[in-house]
Amino acid sequence: MNLLDIRNLSIELKSKNGSILAVDRVSLTIKEGEVRGLVGESGSGKSILAQAITGILDDRWEVHADRFHWKNQDLLGLTPQERKDIIAKDIAMIFQEPMACLDPTTTVGEQLEEAVPNSQLSGYFWQKSKQRKLAVISLLHKVGIKNHEKCYRSFPHQLTEAFCQRVMIAIALARQPLLLIADEPTAAMESTNQGQIFRLLASLNQLKNMSILLISHDLENVTHWTNTITVMYSGQFVEAGTTEQIFNRPFHPYTKALLDSSPNANIELPAKSRLTTLPGSIPLLQHLPIGCRLGPRCPRAQQICVQAPKTTNHHGHQVNCHYSLKENY
Amino acid sequence: MARDKIYSEEEFPSPLQQLWHSFTQTNIAMIGFYGYLFLIAMAIFSPLISPHISIESNLDMLLLPPAWDSQGDVSYLLGTDSLGRDMLSRLMHGTSLTFGLSFLVVIISLGVGVLFGSVSALTQGVKSSIFNHFLDVILSIPTLLLAIIIVAILGPGLYNTLWAIVMTLIPQFIHVTHNAVREEFSKDYVLASRLDGASSLRILKYSVFPNIVEKIINQATLAQSAAILDIAALGFLRLGAQSPLPEWGAMLFNGLDLFYIAPWTVYLPGLAILFAVLTTNLVGEGLRHAVKMRKET
Amino acid sequence: MLMFTLRRLSLFFFTMVLLSILSFSLSYFFPGDILINLSGEVNASPERLAILADQYKTNGSILNQYIHYIIQIFNGNLGLSLSSKLPNSSEIANLLPATIELSLSALIIAMFIGIPLGFIAAIFHRRQIDNFILSFAIIGYSIPVFWLGLFVILIFSIQLGWFPSAGNISLLFEIKQLTGFMFLDILFSSSPYKWQAFTNALTHIILPASVIALAPATVFIRLARSAMMEVLDTSYIQAAKTKGLTFSQIIYRHAIRNALIKMVRHIGLQFANLVTFAMITEVIFSWPGLGRWLIVSIYQRDYTAIQSGLLVLSSFIFIVHIITDFIYAALNPLARDN
Repeated sequence: MNLLDIRNLSIELKSKNGSILAVDRVSLTIKEGEVRGLVGESGSGKSILAQAITGILDDRWEVHADRFHWKNQDLLGLTPQERKDIIAKDIAMIFQEPMACLDPTTTVGEQLEEAVPNSQLSGYFWQKSKQRKLAVISLLHKVGIKNHEKCYRSFPHQLTEAFCQRVMIAIALARQPLLLIADEPTAAMESTNQGQIFRLLASLNQLKNMSILLISHDLENVTHWTNTITVMYSGQFVEAGTTEQIFNRPFHPYTKALLDSSPNANIELPAKSRLTTLPGSIPLLQHLPIGCRLGPRCPRAQQICVQAPKTTNHHGHQVNCHYSLKENY
Repeated sequence: MARDKIYSEEEFPSPLQQLWHSFTQTNIAMIGFYGYLFLIAMAIFSPLISPHISIESNLDMLLLPPAWDSQGDVSYLLGTDSLGRDMLSRLMHGTSLTFGLSFLVVIISLGVGVLFGSVSALTQGVKSSIFNHFLDVILSIPTLLLAIIIVAILGPGLYNTLWAIVMTLIPQFIHVTHNAVREEFSKDYVLASRLDGASSLRILKYSVFPNIVEKIINQATLAQSAAILDIAALGFLRLGAQSPLPEWGAMLFNGLDLFYIAPWTVYLPGLAILFAVLTTNLVGEGLRHAVKMRKET
Repeated sequence: MLMFTLRRLSLFFFTMVLLSILSFSLSYFFPGDILINLSGEVNASPERLAILADQYKTNGSILNQYIHYIIQIFNGNLGLSLSSKLPNSSEIANLLPATIELSLSALIIAMFIGIPLGFIAAIFHRRQIDNFILSFAIIGYSIPVFWLGLFVILIFSIQLGWFPSAGNISLLFEIKQLTGFMFLDILFSSSPYKWQAFTNALTHIILPASVIALAPATVFIRLARSAMMEVLDTSYIQAAKTKGLTFSQIIYRHAIRNALIKMVRHIGLQFANLVTFAMITEVIFSWPGLGRWLIVSIYQRDYTAIQSGLLVLSSFIFIVHIITDFIYAALNPLARDN
């Protein structure tokens, strides 16, 4: 069953000089128990998309979509408050710099206790606080923190980044969510710690059947730990499919360039040769190209690319391109 | 034959131009700015345009109400005070005293304060911490008390109180400059200049000062509104301007005895002080707002 | 925490030394004879002068003189007032509590009005109420305190007759002076009209305290607004929103505490300004406090009184400054390990 079904979501920033389309008609679906990766460079709008799903964008942004279903329930027809209630119950999010995401003036224990919802507790006032403490300890054990006493009393600045990320995951797990959105969870850590966090996320996915939306720009990690991948470029939807499909047979020129640019993917590189990259850089928000935003940089672009391409689907592998590489395979 | 521009060029304004552009967009700030220019013009040109001489008394026209009252006289537009001096001329002359001198005071304290502040930010160690503690001591003495002490040493009078206010404003400038320079020195672009071989003085002049100018201007507007209020307060307490100088605070005190018969002698100087401080604050607030807008976009 | 306390105490001690050096040097700067400025005995006979010279060691080196000046202060001898011929220490002991009462009440009023308004302005940023509060802040900051005091007396005292305009209690009540703090003395006294005296003292303090509180309150509005806006932009508030907390829970549990921490230090710095306003307001409202005494002293050129008043008033301000430092450390765990 599709947990999350989004079609043609657009996010606009209205300013005095006109409006900027930060995310342009992106579609996303997540099934139960699936680990989906959302890949794109910095500035491709992945974080804004995640924030729009959880509903924490402020008033400056406007969000439109053709379809926004959660567990087959239409969320667009609800008031923002009702939408927030439903989403807060089932979707949780962890962020990029975990130490900055914890209140520096409250102990970690207190912040964990806040996250435990009242519905999981029962009984009188003093019973509830005891149950709360037990719930927090069990959450800490679930994320692999055995020394819970010390952790309870510390402040965030006394812990390491990886530790704080585990605490963030524990806070996210408190409400037993069906979907965990991980917005570049390991960007601030070394690779050993990165592996620990990914293993933890994978085990949570296996044991609890919790879906994960993993947002990252690190292609290597994403292809290793995910089932399906969605690729975004400059706010537009580029390609989506299973990891094998995308890794072995990328249809879109951008995905191919991404894969080629990572040296591990391309083992037949002759010595002292240039790494393959796309020329140019990601467009500024003030000067977004019309139609397909990869146009100015794409090696296969023609005149028709000034019109937005339509999404084509081949056995679950979707691509958004006029000149996709499908014929090469 | 002139060539027309076919391609539209993107012009990137410098930070200062962006600041001015944001500033001119805010309506309230521009109102304050025009009021400020009006006050400066008044302060400079008041001897030329005032209808009467501000310290000359006309004993026939004592305590005349303002012109819109039935007993008023148009040639004395805002009435006269208890010694027959024209209120309008006194107010205009007072602009150059209260407002103009506050401007002067701020410029002196700015110069001295920024100098000492940057020098103290460059030094380190015991000397620097003694200086900082000394500064803390001066900052915790109330400005009025400091003014009283200086008046006690030098005697009352407008120019002596100016020295008092300068002494209270200098530590604030030193404090702001010291913190700002210290903050900039810990940033990487200063490190880059240093690795290029720049001396501290050169870094200060070319790298650091352009970046702290905004903070200093901000402090200057705050200091000016404080200076206007201080000059007026000291005039009100008869420690500052001595009669017959038409400083606004002193005028207010003079009008106090006859408040019931001639309330305009109290209201008008008060409104003048309010107007001067309000325009200074609006300009300061507009600058702060413009800096914030520039940092956001 | 121990290191923090020790550091603060050493800072306090050092500042007191500097303050006393400043106050001592004034006796040289003030016009007139040094010995008379230090002791205040203007009409002393030659024998008395000789005794004083020995007490203050005016024939010795400056360091010696300074040490003896400090010894005199510790013995409680702040000299005699040149105008009233009474010892300064007793005059100050009578007047200082009234000033402390007035300035602390004004500080509390300013905090309780300014800080919540600033927070509200930040939470409803970019909406009408934010502009309204900001305009109020700018206008309030621009009104000269003496004008406001006169205006307030005119409206509330003379025209409406709601509040009295002079003194700190009606002369009809005979409250024995124990501590010097009017409210405490009322509570300790055995008079049968205790509660009427209490309400009467309250009506006397409201006007001057509010007049003093206006300008600092507007400063607190601005400080609180910018602190709260900074806090609302941080990642942990965003993360807390996804935690499922309601907006009011986030504000009360996390945002307020962090915003207060950012601005506590500035509250201590504003206190010196507040005391300046208090001095002027004491003159206008005839409040029996230290500020009015100092201003009267300058009219009468009473140098000894000014010297001792400077010492006491600045020490008081600095103590409040240190107390706010301790409050800052109590609220902010990051500052304790410093």
